[in-house]
Amino acid sequence: MIGKEFIGRESESVVLKIKLEEVRRLAEAIGIPFNGEVPLTYVGTLLQANISGFELTNSGVIHGEQKITYQRPLSVGDSLTYKRRIKDVYELTSKSGKKRLVVLDTTGYDLAGELVFFSSSTLITPVKEDGQ
Amino acid sequence: MKWLSNYQVSERLPIREWIPSQVQIRQYAEASGDFNPIHLDDNYARQVGLGGMIAHGMLTMAQMTAMLTEWIGKEGRVSKLDVRFVQVVRPGDKITFCGSIRDRSGNIIVCDVEACNDQKEKVLVGLAHIIRK
Repeated sequence: MIGKEFIGRESESVVLKIKLEEVRRLAEAIGIPFNGEVPLTYVGTLLQANISGFELTNSGVIHGEQKITYQRPLSVGDSLTYKRRIKDVYELTSKSGKKRLVVLDTTGYDLAGELVFFSSSTLITPVKEDGQ
Repeated sequence: MKWLSNYQVSERLPIREWIPSQVQIRQYAEASGDFNPIHLDDNYARQVGLGGMIAHGMLTMAQMTAMLTEWIGKEGRVSKLDVRFVQVVRPGDKITFCGSIRDRSGNIIVCDVEACNDQKEKVLVGLAHIIRK
């Protein structure tokens, strides 16, 4: 189970080139006309930067918050590097029980090293109490 | 047609409606690479306490972005979108996306945005920044 010891862990940088076919498939899945532009939520598909020991599809993990900021729009054919980092891990207790929240940041740069986008995902995972 | 520059603080944005289907959620999983079984396997989603399959949060966020980009057209772009997923969205839910202008400063328009299901429960709330060209 992920704990506070994961805070600060980060992936290696991943290099990618935005492919026309990937963007077209994403636009179709969203249900928007494909006009050659990269959807804002494209950064949510950047899941290849693995953080050692961290698995996104843990039992019952849901998405709590998402923040995306672009310095400039992405275009098909752009080459980028991005990496992911665990910013925070903390617990909350609500009427539905104890939950652990993981804040995962993704930062993307162009090949000149200029920041292109920043994305922050808050993932919520239930915490099993003793006897559950 | 009303130009983006003519929208004033507190004005409401055009709404968008969306009903996710299991087919669309599967299609989104394949396009995004997010194969978390809570989106694809009803039994699994029940076992982990979600009461059944749910749509990807990013798919719901993408619909909000679609609402904004349809409204903006070629007059600007979304530079920032921060959202909180308040409730799960399930296949067959009728989701209505709406928003209003909170502030304008220079070429930046700040919008409050939200999405509600057919029970009028909020499923997503957030803030968008639009840059006018």
